[in-house]
Amino acid sequence: MSASGRIIKEFRRSPRPIRLLGASGQLGYGIPAVSFRAGIARKPDLIGCDMGSIDIGPTYLGKGEMATSPEATRRDLRRVLLAARGLDVPLVIGTAGSAGAGPHLDATLAMIRDIAHADGLSFRMAVMRADIARPVLLEAVRSGKVTSFDGMPDLTEEDVTEASHIVGQMGMGPFRHALAADVDVIVAGRACDTAIFASLPALLGFPVGLAMHMAKIIECGSLCCVPGGRDPILAELDHDGFVLESMNPERRATPISVAAHSLYEQSDPFTMQEPDGTLDLSRAQYEAVDDRRTRVSGATWRDTTAPTIKLEGAIKVGERAVLLCGSADPRFIAQCKGLLPKVADLVESLVCEEQPMDYTLRFRVYGIDGVRMVVPENEPPPGEVFMMGECIAPTRERASEVVRTCKQFLLHFGYPGRLSTAGNIAFPFTPPEVSLGPAYRFNVYHLLHVDDADALFPVEIETV
Amino acid sequence: MKLSDIAQVIRSKNAGPRRLTLDIIFGSDADYQRVAQSPGLGAENIGRLYRVPAEQVTIIPYPVGRAIKIVMARAIMAGDPGDLDVYGAQQHAPLLGIEI
Repeated sequence: MSASGRIIKEFRRSPRPIRLLGASGQLGYGIPAVSFRAGIARKPDLIGCDMGSIDIGPTYLGKGEMATSPEATRRDLRRVLLAARGLDVPLVIGTAGSAGAGPHLDATLAMIRDIAHADGLSFRMAVMRADIARPVLLEAVRSGKVTSFDGMPDLTEEDVTEASHIVGQMGMGPFRHALAADVDVIVAGRACDTAIFASLPALLGFPVGLAMHMAKIIECGSLCCVPGGRDPILAELDHDGFVLESMNPERRATPISVAAHSLYEQSDPFTMQEPDGTLDLSRAQYEAVDDRRTRVSGATWRDTTAPTIKLEGAIKVGERAVLLCGSADPRFIAQCKGLLPKVADLVESLVCEEQPMDYTLRFRVYGIDGVRMVVPENEPPPGEVFMMGECIAPTRERASEVVRTCKQFLLHFGYPGRLSTAGNIAFPFTPPEVSLGPAYRFNVYHLLHVDDADALFPVEIETV
Repeated sequence: MKLSDIAQVIRSKNAGPRRLTLDIIFGSDADYQRVAQSPGLGAENIGRLYRVPAEQVTIIPYPVGRAIKIVMARAIMAGDPGDLDVYGAQQHAPLLGIEI
């Protein structure tokens, strides 16, 4: 019998509180070894890891690449895999490979098979793909089953056809099917981070509201503690609540710190929409067990009658190249916001002599307006600025041509009162122009209304 | 007194790629109560600071976490060409100087 089958049988025979270890909120950036060992010593019934998010932007999804380095990702995967097999408990990984589309999932699976081979491990693995087939989605668009939210424009058939990858965030259903299929390891493409941890307790009959609330907190590791951090966190869930404890003794889960975590990256700290229903935290209570542990209760859950799957897709917008430079000339800095468009016009007159205007060129001036979406008026000028010119063009060569031309004419651009006639800008190194590869934007961020959400994410079983 | 003199945490982050959320967390119930009543943290003033209409600013008091949450739309979707802050983690500065 495999790990999930064993756990389910054990809990059916003799119910008890369940312990879940949130090993990593972002697998692939390193799991602290000491606190992870402390977590394993507590013999959790499940080890879960979130591996990705939409927060990292559209390019990873579009390109099909991981945000984390292969070396660190492999090391983290090996750590959790060896521990889970050592305890014979399910290992559950969600949003494989940073963005959870086919290439991300396949790269993650290849690493897992490779680790298993090298370490002589053998196990049953469930795999759930999150890619939404284009014909299915096109039909959904035509029949009005896709809606917008957060002010996103309506999804068009072109969006579906032209996106590089489109994934749906799976909820608990596919995980429950996988756990019921008697497996040791579950690897999901794009998935709700809550489903990683809530699915097993829900399957075992624990209250879904509590399981979801617990999952929402432990998917971030020890971020809910003071001081917050990425150490593994242990949750012990019973039928009335759950107790949180960081596996790093320096991190304390206090009632306030845990309650405040409900704010994190959420637009509403009281209600959270999940594919399978709504989590209501308005009556949640947080009580200190001791100095470092907090008990949480009171969350409630409403199953949905109309399942919706959040879709994410990214489309290529061109090739990106940037110019990196700075200035310490007060006269240049004082005028630069007016000068840069003039430099852009000059560049256009040169690179568009024989070609149409087919690119965008924009500048961010760090020290003035490089970071802030809103800049107050009448700020005193900084002593130095860093400037990034960014071109997005149809080809890598074209983007490179634009930023290289820009570099030269920004360096020597004349302006009233100019004293530093040998050059306007400093380069930290040369070449100061960098090709960054394809650039993407999210063109799919919509809700898909379905009758059977689970049917979108079939569970495949593999023996490794 | 400025908000940055009272609050324990003043942070910003995306809540999905199209919305920005700002959290202000206090170290004591007294500090929370004092600021929760302040017009400096009303939708009017926040809208003025972020140059968005007040009716598009949502302010959510969260006493159990001694916190106040502010939510608004991002002008540019995270990661779109022209974005300045893909994670939205550095848009809290306008809050720091709010007079309480």
